[in-house]
Amino acid sequence: MPANKKYLTKSPWIKLSKLLAGSVGGYLVTVSFHAALTRIFPKEYVMVTSFITGYLLWATLLLVAYLIPQAWKTWAIYVVLIGICSGVYFI
Amino acid sequence: MNNRKYNIYFNTHTISGIIICAILYVMFFAGSFSFFKDDLASWQKNESYSSNQAVVKKDFNYILDSLAKHHTLKGRDFDLTLQRHQTGVYVSMTASHDPIVQKLKKPKKKPEGRRGRGRGRGGDDDSAFFTYDFSKQQEADYASSYTIGEFLYRLHFLAQLNQVFPFRIGVPFGYMLAGIVSFIFLFALITGLLLHWDKLVSNFFTFRPWSKRKTIWTDLHTVLGVIGFPYQLVFAVTGIVLIFNSFLIIPYTKLFYKGNEEKIYQDLGYGVKSEFAYANKPLSTPFDINRLVTQTEQKWQRSDISLIAIRNYGDVNMHVVIQGKPHTDAQLNGQGELIFRMRDQTILAERTPLAAPSYTQTVRGLIYHLHFGDFGGRPLQVIYFVLGILGCIVINSGVMIWLVARDNKNIPARKRTFNFWTANVYISSSLSMLPVTAFTMIVLLLLNKPGQSDIYHWFFYSWLALGVYFLVRKDLALVNRQSIFLSMVTCFLLPVADGLLRGNWFWNTFNREAYNILFIDVLFLCLSLVSGVILWKLEQKKRTQSSSVQLNDRVGQLGVA
Repeated sequence: MPANKKYLTKSPWIKLSKLLAGSVGGYLVTVSFHAALTRIFPKEYVMVTSFITGYLLWATLLLVAYLIPQAWKTWAIYVVLIGICSGVYFI
Repeated sequence: MNNRKYNIYFNTHTISGIIICAILYVMFFAGSFSFFKDDLASWQKNESYSSNQAVVKKDFNYILDSLAKHHTLKGRDFDLTLQRHQTGVYVSMTASHDPIVQKLKKPKKKPEGRRGRGRGRGGDDDSAFFTYDFSKQQEADYASSYTIGEFLYRLHFLAQLNQVFPFRIGVPFGYMLAGIVSFIFLFALITGLLLHWDKLVSNFFTFRPWSKRKTIWTDLHTVLGVIGFPYQLVFAVTGIVLIFNSFLIIPYTKLFYKGNEEKIYQDLGYGVKSEFAYANKPLSTPFDINRLVTQTEQKWQRSDISLIAIRNYGDVNMHVVIQGKPHTDAQLNGQGELIFRMRDQTILAERTPLAAPSYTQTVRGLIYHLHFGDFGGRPLQVIYFVLGILGCIVINSGVMIWLVARDNKNIPARKRTFNFWTANVYISSSLSMLPVTAFTMIVLLLLNKPGQSDIYHWFFYSWLALGVYFLVRKDLALVNRQSIFLSMVTCFLLPVADGLLRGNWFWNTFNREAYNILFIDVLFLCLSLVSGVILWKLEQKKRTQSSSVQLNDRVGQLGVA
């Protein structure tokens, strides 16, 4: 039994938007989050830890992009997160 | 879990799984055999390391002396990286820091002066890179030392696909594909676990092998997926890190190191971190690298030397840095380093391999050891192998669930044809891998000194032939039966052929303590037995069911159901 279509996104554009938000957006959140962590911990430690946590976080964010019903909300949340993390890193 | 979430997990799990199934199967299959890479190599060459325990003398002075015949060594840096459990050393020699030697090199540019596999960076035309084999006392020739073990090992991260494009795309295509597939695999693992979360315990104890076909595959997929989950999660994550960590390394290099790649790798603990200035004054005291290495080896018990780095050869400020790694039964992670100054023969800094490892070393070591499974000897390797093969079964059953779920009357015929062919291509190419591997290995016994191209030709062409044959039969059940039959025959013939052609019967290899060769023969005999039992069970079941088979239960065949 394939998944019930009732609960899935129908528009191909929104599907694409969700995929991009999850993969590209999620990736940028992952990188900026770990970059922000280097302000607290030594960067060698953050880098080597992120070899494990980074990929897990990225894959989770990809899934979260599908769980949030509206694609624009995902974008908004991820952009805010990227903004906060890169703010912490650059300031 | 509400219905919406459940269906999203379901859909993302299905789609990510079906995209990667074929490549992931190849990676799991070849990767499982790669645990026995060294055994496969010694099987093919008929040289067992365990029977030939004579210690190979590692003469580093000789390598330097032979390099000195073609190059002026003064002022150069050397990195001698020793291969684990093998007799080879990877030698890299940089251009000289000495201004006189730098000028000297230009007029005499002999073609044989450059050696190695062209990994030199642009501009450094006086550098050299090559692998030296101590057991043969000569430069190792990569193509002729290529074995089926190396082939399967490289196949499992798709190295053979690197040359697939005639133009350069900036990164090795095969590695990148392997990295992307590992990431999608990680995603599929997470969604798969969440999908089964509510019924994790009850489904784990459900196995209904004699009811409908779909339930067999569903139960198989769920139970083996749950058992194998920790293992597969470890391999998904460590796999990405080991083959395509560029996802993270590239942004980190840009952000933290302003693009300086050498620096980031030094900070992560690769190579030698210390830097030594070139003094431009000749060194008067004599030096002996071999003696220094032997002394260090004696001092560092239960460890192996992993790297010997020479800086500023023949200069007053000449230093030798020796790094070592502990044996995994002594300590899992750790790295020793000794810095030796030549002019006054003093040790400037020393840290033994058994000292408590740094955080960076621990994490990197864990990633490495968990992926290679080299910390528990033979029993652990076998467990890893079995779990890897179970992974293949999870992938296969997943594809079958996908096909069966889409095989009913309210799905348009065009779509069903497409689905069938997707599954047909997948099942035909994946199930033909075991017989093709065993067949290729038998052929290698018959060839005289088979090299890289022989392995490529025999493996890929026989795979193509068998795959196409299975494809045109258009019957998945038949493909299943015939591939198991072929696996049984070829895996059985492998130890027999080894016995007939080389006298390597089980008792002979056992007597001469050639355990590596014995292991491969026994492994394939076991695979043959397992295939035989499965085939027997299939036939038995077919006989009891032949009267009651209903057409609409026969999926995986075009035109019926």
